Amino acid sequence: MSRTSEEAGRPALTLADPPPVVTTEGPSARPRRIAILGNPNAGKSTLFNQLTGLRQKVGNYPGVTVEKKTGTCEMPSGRRVEVIDLPGTYSLHPHSPDEVIVRDVLLGLQPGTPPPDLIVFVVDATHLSRHLYLALQVIDIGRPVILALNMMDAAEAQGLKIDERALEQQLGVPVVGISAARGTGLGHLRRLMDRDVEPSTQKFRRWPPHLERVLHHLESRLPRHPDLPERGRLDLALALLLDDGEDDALARSAPPEVLDDLGIVRRRLDAVSPGWRADEVEGRYEAIHGVLERAAIPAEARRDPVRERVDRVLTHRVWGVVIFVLLMGAVFQSVFSWAAPAMDAIDALVKNFGVLVEGLMPAGPVRSLIVDGIIAGVGTTLIFLPQIAVLFFFICVLEDSGYMARAAFIMDRLMGKVGLSGRAFIPLLSSFACAIPGIMATRTIDNRRDRITTIMIAPFMSCSARLPVYALLIGAFIPNKWIGFVTLPALTLFSMYLLGIGAAIAVAWVLKRSVLKGGRPLYVMELPPYRMPSPRSVALAVRDRSLLFLRKAGTVILAVSMVLWFLASYPRGGREVHALQARVTAAEQAGDTAARDALSSQVAGVSLRNSFAGRIGRFIEPAIEPLGFDWRIGIGLITSFAAREVMVSTMATVFNLGSGDDDIVSLRQTLRDAVDPDTGLHAYSPLIGVSLMVFFVLACQCMSTVAVVKRETNSWRWALFMVVMMNVLAWLASFAVFQGGRLMGFA
Amino acid sequence: MSRVATERSLDRLEPGERGVILRLDGDHGAVRRLMELGLVPGTRVEVLRRAPLGDPIELRLRDVHLSLRRSEAAFIHVEDV
Repeated sequence: MSRTSEEAGRPALTLADPPPVVTTEGPSARPRRIAILGNPNAGKSTLFNQLTGLRQKVGNYPGVTVEKKTGTCEMPSGRRVEVIDLPGTYSLHPHSPDEVIVRDVLLGLQPGTPPPDLIVFVVDATHLSRHLYLALQVIDIGRPVILALNMMDAAEAQGLKIDERALEQQLGVPVVGISAARGTGLGHLRRLMDRDVEPSTQKFRRWPPHLERVLHHLESRLPRHPDLPERGRLDLALALLLDDGEDDALARSAPPEVLDDLGIVRRRLDAVSPGWRADEVEGRYEAIHGVLERAAIPAEARRDPVRERVDRVLTHRVWGVVIFVLLMGAVFQSVFSWAAPAMDAIDALVKNFGVLVEGLMPAGPVRSLIVDGIIAGVGTTLIFLPQIAVLFFFICVLEDSGYMARAAFIMDRLMGKVGLSGRAFIPLLSSFACAIPGIMATRTIDNRRDRITTIMIAPFMSCSARLPVYALLIGAFIPNKWIGFVTLPALTLFSMYLLGIGAAIAVAWVLKRSVLKGGRPLYVMELPPYRMPSPRSVALAVRDRSLLFLRKAGTVILAVSMVLWFLASYPRGGREVHALQARVTAAEQAGDTAARDALSSQVAGVSLRNSFAGRIGRFIEPAIEPLGFDWRIGIGLITSFAAREVMVSTMATVFNLGSGDDDIVSLRQTLRDAVDPDTGLHAYSPLIGVSLMVFFVLACQCMSTVAVVKRETNSWRWALFMVVMMNVLAWLASFAVFQGGRLMGFA
Repeated sequence: MSRVATERSLDRLEPGERGVILRLDGDHGAVRRLMELGLVPGTRVEVLRRAPLGDPIELRLRDVHLSLRRSEAAFIHVEDV
């Protein structure tokens, strides 16, 4: 580094030479807390990853699904500091849950997250004019700030010259040029982070007298707070004035009599100057212009010819759409096919592990619980992990390269028709592979109502777990006839996908006009410059998502697996089973393996029919009879809550087919031939097959999805709403298909 | 030409046209956020393009590119340069 300009003599800055403050604290003192803050796309996370490496953990702020990333980092002096990566933010006065968190942390109001001792404010050097807005707001609070000018390499490539010392002088805080992606300038930054940095003495607030009077008066009525610098009390006053009075940490920070008066104050301001809410913004941009002018930095960027050429293609009326469709097709295909080998491997691993455990433990209920309940149940969930990893790899690459914003730009009009934003497209597309990564991907949607709507409709996309069920039923009941240039089975499969999409559109439309109705959200979105994604950030993002899925969904899924196992295994025995088991033993002794296997399958079938699941199947039969389903299908509907494809193996067990993997053909035949014991007629018809498929398209039958929805919406309410809404819809649709079909004479 | 004659809402600008922001109408929160993103009165804006389906539009102002739905751009009034 050795910046010669780090000379002494600038007031308020202790940049000059004081040696690193090596622990004045005792060994038990808490580590210095450094927050990384900045606009979205400033390269905050890249810097965070560079500083902390793998020493980071991801959690949530209490009560919201805003990610809290913290890590540790060793300073040149050898002491450890705690680094926290705050969510990307445009303003201290929030517009989204992420931004509320940032405001609350900076104002010292966030429970569990004390305000940082030092803020490393990351700005994109090529977007200085816009990024300084939040920077000046933060400097004004009076907390110690280091300004990290990121992407200096890009700025230089554009011919943009930034005099760091001049900027330092203007802002009153240390300024350091870095490139987080290339790792340049980080040594200098670390050395600065190791020192004591004084807050700036400069002020960048410019507001008209009427607002100033009100704010000073409000400030004088606020109690002193150890976590907020004296200067920041004015910002707290403005935050209160601009806040829409929800019950949040901000409202709790002020005395009730002040809160009561806020309404009056606002009305008075409205009368004097209707545009007062934006006065602070205008004043601050004036201040930015002053700073940039005096530091001789242009406020308007020159055209970037490369970007413009790329954009002309990627957002072209024809080529833009073609490339978009091809890219999305490639992503979708990869989630399916790249993940397949890993999924098979996990599947085999889980099975082998089950066999291993089975061999190690004595037979009995405990072994059965562990092997058939926990290992099999959690195993069916683990299988989704490769898809999650592959999808997040693509999402992260698309996001970091800047393409995601263009994809949203292209799709916005179409998604807007159902009241969603362009950002909803990728989560919905991924849901065709599996709703779980799709739902996790909705975090890129900043509007809460849009995000919940997207989560609610994602499970309607026909996921890969439904395919085995479609394959079974289409193979069993749909004749292989050609209709024009497609076969009837292919047409049926396609219709199931379309039905799911149609239901999603309808539900989104209704939700956005009822429960999730709200003021028109703003869809303004930044189109960032194209950048090379950093492999490190991509790898870390994939790792984070995978761990998150395993840790959180795993707990609920584990519990539900155990419950389902219990339902399908108890009560055990019974006279019928004992008699059969005696015959199995007899066949075994006689060496008749064929008879033994057939009898064993019968034992499994009888046991399942007699179990609680079987009884529930029979109990719900009256409810599903109008859809054309009997109690045997009922059992399948219950066990498929573990995962939809479990339906196939359940039907095999119910019909005493044994649990081999290659028997889907014989299962199809069995279903076709199945006889209703009461009437002696065929139990199932093509109409019932279609009705059952329609049910599978629409019903919420996947415990992992429910668990993830609970996690991502942070409430059981939405998870429950989804279960009820989807299942009611499924019932009604199947009812319409079956009864309608019968009326038309298809039965 | 009079000043009024040259005033248009931003959604009326064709790709390639420029203007200087005069004022913003509409909901307080939305106006504040648009301004925070740099759309302050006095700022020069250029409409770069429309999305393939006609909406939203891409703007260039200061040193950033923003995408706005045309219904939102309608609240921003600009003066021709």
